[in-house]
Amino acid sequence: MKPGRKKILIVDDDADFLEALAFFLERNNYEVVKAHDGREGLRLAKMQRPDLIIVDIMMNERTEGLFTAQEIRRTPELEGVPVFVLSALYSKVPDFQIQPDSGWMAHDEFFSKPVDTAELLAKIRGRLGQEKRETAGEVEP
Amino acid sequence: MRETPEQEMIVVIDDDYAIRLSCQKILTKAGFQVETFEDGSQGLEGVARLKPSLVVVDLKMPGISGMEVIARVHEIVPQAIIVVITGYATIGTAVEAMKVGAYDFLPKPFSPDELRVIVNRGLERRRLALESERSEVERALLKRRFITFVSHQLQTPLVAVHQCLDVLKQLGGAEGTEAKRQEWINRCLSRTEEMLAIIKDWLALAKVEADSLSRRRVSVDLRRVVSDILRAYEEMAGRESITLEARLPEEPCLVKGDRTCMGVLFDNLIVNAIKYNKAGGKVTVSAEEVDGEVVAAVTDTGIGIAEKHRPFLFEEFYRIKDESGKRTTGTGLGLPICKKIVTELGGKIEVESELEAGSTFRVRLPASREQEEADSSGSLE
Repeated sequence: MKPGRKKILIVDDDADFLEALAFFLERNNYEVVKAHDGREGLRLAKMQRPDLIIVDIMMNERTEGLFTAQEIRRTPELEGVPVFVLSALYSKVPDFQIQPDSGWMAHDEFFSKPVDTAELLAKIRGRLGQEKRETAGEVEP
Repeated sequence: MRETPEQEMIVVIDDDYAIRLSCQKILTKAGFQVETFEDGSQGLEGVARLKPSLVVVDLKMPGISGMEVIARVHEIVPQAIIVVITGYATIGTAVEAMKVGAYDFLPKPFSPDELRVIVNRGLERRRLALESERSEVERALLKRRFITFVSHQLQTPLVAVHQCLDVLKQLGGAEGTEAKRQEWINRCLSRTEEMLAIIKDWLALAKVEADSLSRRRVSVDLRRVVSDILRAYEEMAGRESITLEARLPEEPCLVKGDRTCMGVLFDNLIVNAIKYNKAGGKVTVSAEEVDGEVVAAVTDTGIGIAEKHRPFLFEEFYRIKDESGKRTTGTGLGLPICKKIVTELGGKIEVESELEAGSTFRVRLPASREQEEADSSGSLE
């Protein structure tokens, strides 16, 4: 186990949304890595080895996030890293682009945007375990 | 024989050898591909195999009746046109045949001309039916795509605002967070402005589409349109130390249009030229009449537009990310609106661009020969 805070990678092409979500997670004592598109997300995922990845589905006006999520699943060194997907456009994960045998859906969470931060935090804690409460500025949603 | 890549296939089903032969001859000569069959069951097999555009059927044949053949052909090839031939032409049989789906009727004996006319008329009708079906489908798809797109375009900033407000809520009134709060409020404000701009542009586009342009066209002097807009943006340009220059001729530059749409057109182009310029840059707007055309150009000294983006600039919702790749600006509707206006008025809009040097948007509109209509909004001089 790594010492210190757990690391979460957020991949989203909307800078404001990304910052807002990062702010929330940082306040809850996670280390946040930010990527603005799928390619950068994948690169940072391999480099930074996050404990959990959050990916927006619609990026650059297409469903780039689904490809990113699938690529993450195909990357051996990222095996077992939970991938959460977000979408404003869809109310559930669109199944038209998911290969039935890709096998990654079973483990992941889907959130519609805007994200219910309380639920997100609960799901993250469910995957990564309760964080130690160190920061004075921590805020419960 | 005329060889065209898209020769239409015609199937003739008749038990009379002479009819088959003459149909084959006449229609082949007219440039069609023709296959003939001597009874209903062979004919239907042929139809299934050849998927013809048109089927000529004799009503009175041994075996499967002509009426049955008509119904079955439409089960196999719903879009095929059916012409019936019969030796005992009466209104009654014609009506019966039409009821089961025949398009036209050819009484025996018929002349080569009659056959050609009826076949061509049938094929023309089929083309029209196919076209309207295609455009119906396309329209429906386009509409659905457009609504999905607009929803997403509006949802994206709305979601960001929601998430930023969520941050503000968490910050509460805690001390020392004033600057942070201000930052998140500013994020919210700029995103709500984005939403308003999208809605404004969307409505402008809908208005142009609803044909508001063609209703009242008057002679408009582009010199005045351009000068008014440049004056309105002096302050905005000044903030970035951008110089605005008008290169306008002494004589009027008249086009047929309406003042509002001309305003929207040049407003969009000039605002873009300022927004996507460099600090200390320049925006030049020129207009002149050349060979019955008014050519107006808006030139900036900005970062330019990469070649790969240029073909898509005028498409709805096409947006380019800034160099950092972190932010797209604009609603993606400004240039499509410009293009719609210019096209409606029988003109053209083009773009020239060089990376790091700047872009020129050039509008060509038919020149108007009529005097500019008196207008209460004051004159140029």
